[in-house]
Amino acid sequence: MFQQNKMAAKQNKRSYMISRSSSTPPMASFVKRVFGKIQSAVNSWERNHSPCKRRSLHRDVEQEDLQHINTNCLSSYYSVFVARLAIMVMLAILIGLLTLLTWHFTKVYTRTSLNALAYGLRYELLQRPVLRMWSILNSTVEITTAQVRLSEYVIRKYNKPENQAHEVELYEVMRDVTWALFASYRALNSITIKYKNGFVQAFHRDPRDNSTYYLYNDLTNYTMAGPYDANLSSSHQGWNDQTIRSNISAIWYREPLDPDTGEKIGKQKAIPPDELINIAGISQVPYGAASWHVAVSKFTNSPLLSAAMPVWDASQGSIVAVVGVTTSLYSAGQLMKELVEFHSGHIYLTSQEGWLLATSSTTPLLTNSSTGPKLMMAVDSQDPVIQTGAKWLLKAHGNKPPPNHEVHIEHAKLGHQIYYIDSFFLNLKRLPMVGVLIIPRKYIMGKVDERAFKTLMILISASVCILLIGCVCIFVLTNGVSKEMKLRAELISHLDARRKAEASSNYKSQFLANMSHELRTPMAAVIGLLDILISDECLTNEQYATISQIRKCSTALLRLLNNILDISKVESGKLVLEEAEFDMGRELEGLGDMFSVQCKNHNVETVIDLSDDMPKVVQGDSARVVQIFANLISNSIKFTTSGYIILRGWCEDPHFCTENGNFALDQKALWPAQKNKLLQQENQEKSSCEKDNKVILWFEVDDTGCGIDPSKWESVFESFEQADPSTTRLHGGTGLGLCIVRTLVNKMGGEIRVVKKNGPGTLMQLYLLLGTPVDMPLENYKLKYADHNLKVVLALNGSMCRMILSKWLFKIGVHTWDACEWNELTHILQELFIPSRYTQNLTYECSKVESISKQEMEVSVFIIVVDIGLLNLSTDIWKEQLNFLDIFYKTAKFAWVLNHDTSNTIKMELHNRGHLLMVNEPLYKSKMIQIMEAAIKEKMISLRHGILGGDTHEFLEIDNVHSDPESSNDSEKSELYSSSTRIVQVEETRRALSSSRYGIVNNCFLELTEVCSERNKLGANETFPVSQEKRMQYAEKPISEQKSLEGVRILLAEDTPILQRVATIMLEKMGATVVVVGDGVQAVEALQNPSEGGMTTQTKMRDPPPHDLILMDCQMPKMDGYEATKAIRRAEMGTDLHTPIVALTAHAMSSDEAKCLEVGMDAYLTKPIDCKLMVSTILSLIKLQPNSLT
Amino acid sequence: MAAVSQLQRQFIEYTTSLYNEGYLDDQFTQLQKLQDESNPEFVVEVVSLFFEDSEKLLNNLATALQQKIVDYKQVDSHVHQFKGSSSSIGAQRVTNVCVHFRNYCEEKNLDGCLRCLQQVKHEYILVRNKLETLFRLEQQIVQAGGSIPMME
Repeated sequence: MFQQNKMAAKQNKRSYMISRSSSTPPMASFVKRVFGKIQSAVNSWERNHSPCKRRSLHRDVEQEDLQHINTNCLSSYYSVFVARLAIMVMLAILIGLLTLLTWHFTKVYTRTSLNALAYGLRYELLQRPVLRMWSILNSTVEITTAQVRLSEYVIRKYNKPENQAHEVELYEVMRDVTWALFASYRALNSITIKYKNGFVQAFHRDPRDNSTYYLYNDLTNYTMAGPYDANLSSSHQGWNDQTIRSNISAIWYREPLDPDTGEKIGKQKAIPPDELINIAGISQVPYGAASWHVAVSKFTNSPLLSAAMPVWDASQGSIVAVVGVTTSLYSAGQLMKELVEFHSGHIYLTSQEGWLLATSSTTPLLTNSSTGPKLMMAVDSQDPVIQTGAKWLLKAHGNKPPPNHEVHIEHAKLGHQIYYIDSFFLNLKRLPMVGVLIIPRKYIMGKVDERAFKTLMILISASVCILLIGCVCIFVLTNGVSKEMKLRAELISHLDARRKAEASSNYKSQFLANMSHELRTPMAAVIGLLDILISDECLTNEQYATISQIRKCSTALLRLLNNILDISKVESGKLVLEEAEFDMGRELEGLGDMFSVQCKNHNVETVIDLSDDMPKVVQGDSARVVQIFANLISNSIKFTTSGYIILRGWCEDPHFCTENGNFALDQKALWPAQKNKLLQQENQEKSSCEKDNKVILWFEVDDTGCGIDPSKWESVFESFEQADPSTTRLHGGTGLGLCIVRTLVNKMGGEIRVVKKNGPGTLMQLYLLLGTPVDMPLENYKLKYADHNLKVVLALNGSMCRMILSKWLFKIGVHTWDACEWNELTHILQELFIPSRYTQNLTYECSKVESISKQEMEVSVFIIVVDIGLLNLSTDIWKEQLNFLDIFYKTAKFAWVLNHDTSNTIKMELHNRGHLLMVNEPLYKSKMIQIMEAAIKEKMISLRHGILGGDTHEFLEIDNVHSDPESSNDSEKSELYSSSTRIVQVEETRRALSSSRYGIVNNCFLELTEVCSERNKLGANETFPVSQEKRMQYAEKPISEQKSLEGVRILLAEDTPILQRVATIMLEKMGATVVVVGDGVQAVEALQNPSEGGMTTQTKMRDPPPHDLILMDCQMPKMDGYEATKAIRRAEMGTDLHTPIVALTAHAMSSDEAKCLEVGMDAYLTKPIDCKLMVSTILSLIKLQPNSLT
Repeated sequence: MAAVSQLQRQFIEYTTSLYNEGYLDDQFTQLQKLQDESNPEFVVEVVSLFFEDSEKLLNNLATALQQKIVDYKQVDSHVHQFKGSSSSIGAQRVTNVCVHFRNYCEEKNLDGCLRCLQQVKHEYILVRNKLETLFRLEQQIVQAGGSIPMME
């Protein structure tokens, strides 16, 4: 339908154009343009439609969309086009109507008024000649009548003339009377009197030479008596024309007269009869009444009006004479000429029969025939206009004129012109006449018609101009509109496309999120199956190697998969950082522990150097922070073959901008722009910052690896980029790691970049904007340790670690000595301690090491930190070395730094020798603090003991030496700790107590294996009150898998009986005590009402948690795991208790994990329970608890 | 003794086939490992617990799905429980069907749920039969005086 309309509209437009196209050249170009437009529209329409057929062949969604958009655009284009046309056509119609109406009204009114005027004019024009005619007739009649009356009078007077003389006298009188009349009327042509006896007297004016003549005939031929017979019949006979004509013998005389006086001026001449004028005879008055007729004479070329009247003899009642008067109609013609000259057109008078009496033209009115001049018909007139007019009238009315004899015709086409024709009828009794007026229309209407034509032309051209301008305006205006519409349609289609694209990208991320589960599951299955295979004992070495290779590959693949999924998650914006408090230092140190093992193989030292001003607890996403550093460090390890990797961290409080040492200064120098930006940010967020208490944490990862080319400093953070493509072959990796790092850093409000470094390797700097809890007091180590007079000997292999530690110790006011190898250590030790023993004997001089006085020895605390790597472990020399160190055992506290692969025998040996303070590599600040606090504590205790009675050394000896038979020191220990409770601060009391409790608990399991008891003993001995913020980092002990959970009390909340059973058995097999509850409510209750244990000493204090750990199923009746956890955490609020809760769930998505962690759970296990994973999770959690002990 | 060893072989073959066909998985092995002198009947105990639980759950599911207005949340929690318990004894195929079942639950697809219920029932009965056969074999071995061979 729409298309048809379109086509129709187009055709309309076309025809419109065709009708217009003939007008003007610019018009033609416009038409051409419009035509081109239409053609293109038609083309596009065709284009638009032909693919429709093709489209059905290949169903491409995108193309369809495109098509859809196209049609949208086109349809809008069409609608605009049609609207444009419609507006133009309407404008055209409007203007045309206006023009026509204007023209019509102006024309009609002028025409009617003009017509009325013209009619009056014509009537007037015609009336005047007719009136003239009428007056001529009247005057003729009057004169005739006067002549008759005078004649009657004269004849009566001279009645009965007796003689000739009498008669002559009568004639003389008649002549005088007649002359008087003739002379008084100039217009008269002639007056004739014919007497009964045939005598004729006539006066005649010849208009050709303006002469006047007197005419008479020979009187002698007439008898006086004869014709005056009373016999009518004879008289009648006598009057007939034959008589007169027969009287041919009569001689006519003419004598010229003076026109004014009437005096005879010439000789009378006899004239031939054909020179005679018309003499009215008796025949013209047959009934004695006046008669009229039109006559012609050869003297004038105009018709003459002659009137005749008889002169009666009153007494006898007979006619005595006939008077005839002829008047020329010339004057009427003259008047007409004048009128026509002034106006224009033609006037003529005819008799009723059509004889032409007078015209306004100069053409002759008479025809000369052989018999003399004759009247002519109007249709024969020599004037063409009169002739054609007469013919036209004859044709229109024939011989029967209309009854009133008046004709008014306004459109008579005579020749090439249009005339008005009007006729009037003058109804005289004897001589009816018709007057005809022919006026050319041009004369009256010429100007009007011209004006009307001009007006019409102007109007038409003006309207055409307006139309053109209007059309152009409409075109221009709608062009903008159509463009806007087009743009709008395009915008809409773009929006549509964008929405689609977004939706599809959404689908993609959704798909990836779904795929994560689907991808990880088979991978987990593969890895699990491989584990099973590996544990198979009947494998050959080759098979084993292959399988472990496969396993490595699959773990790598899984890691890669996780990376990709992370990236996709970040890109899809699904990555949500959680906000939870966590201990940054602890996380990083854990990371350091993890990587140190890896580094050891590489001969690379991993050092963590966090400044003291770092807030202990920050708010953020710990997992993601750890991921950042794990990626960075693993990256560094990958490219570093020897040297060190340092992770430095320091804090910059945006509010105070405190000096943070050299690094911070460097930082400012290095990243000035950064700094500015930050400052701006700070200013903006000052108020919000104050509430949030945000801090900027700076980190740098410094390695001595192969380094990165400066040109690649930016691009390494792009996805799938590696600094040197060739390294992929060497080191492997996908290049996703740094990309994830940067994304995460940015997400945490920070930035990361590679920074120029002196020397080989890479230096990456980053900062994170993390929140801190509002009031976190910074610890002042300086105050804490300086007054204890600590002295530390650092005998460490790793130079970097040693340097950093000694620097830090120096800063907090602890005196240090460095040693990097055994010999140096012995040297230092000897210098330090030997002189004090033999002060009297030996004088020691040493620039580096000053000898210490006995007094000083007493008050200061010596700590000797020895790396196990310093001992010569390849041979048995290490035992000798230990023996050497034993000398100093009494004066100094030894702390051993163990490797992850330090053999059990060495540890045992150290234990046996009483070296109980052992930490794992790498050694870093918090471990150092632990060591120092342990040393201080011991010193304090020993000092107190010394005061209480007994030698401090002795006591210490006992304390330490007696530690191997753990069964015996039960009471001693409790005594020891109870004594200690008195001297340490109250807040430390509970910790000591609880640890002592664990000692007791542990002692209950006396049937433990050797290793276990050793651990137990270690725990008992190493336990020292620690400040709450510190995490105890214990030496990792080899744990037998079977009884690794010995003594741990676990609350299992699980509703499924099967799982209850399975988990219980599993845990019990590991040696744990399990309490099973069926739902969340019971779990909460179980925590609140602990079963009575053997803890009598603690009744006064707050109850320690009855369970070391809770395994919590997430979906349970009554109260699910999340709710239960929340309830437990609420109950714990305000106390410093924190019972670790491990979630058990069949959900496997990380969002569930997030949810679990969000409600306050500490870890997350998926069903089915993997025994090893569960045990390791439980162990790691329990170890984290300062008040629990395994 | 020949009978015993034949029974033992049969037992091993049967168990292997169960693993191969995917009726059971590693979790079952773990269960078996947990069984020792202190809990001699542990596996049977747990499995029979599973049977009881499953019967109850299947009934619940059937009634829940027959309601006019199906409470998908409840169905989902049932299925979730079923999934947990089946995975705990290592009835792998039941667990897998449960995963699909939960997907349908999320979509609120009643047809899919009903189909899955049938599948779950089917799988459950299969695994029950298999396990019962397995236990019967075990008993026979024990009666014959042999020891149950451990699967690795």
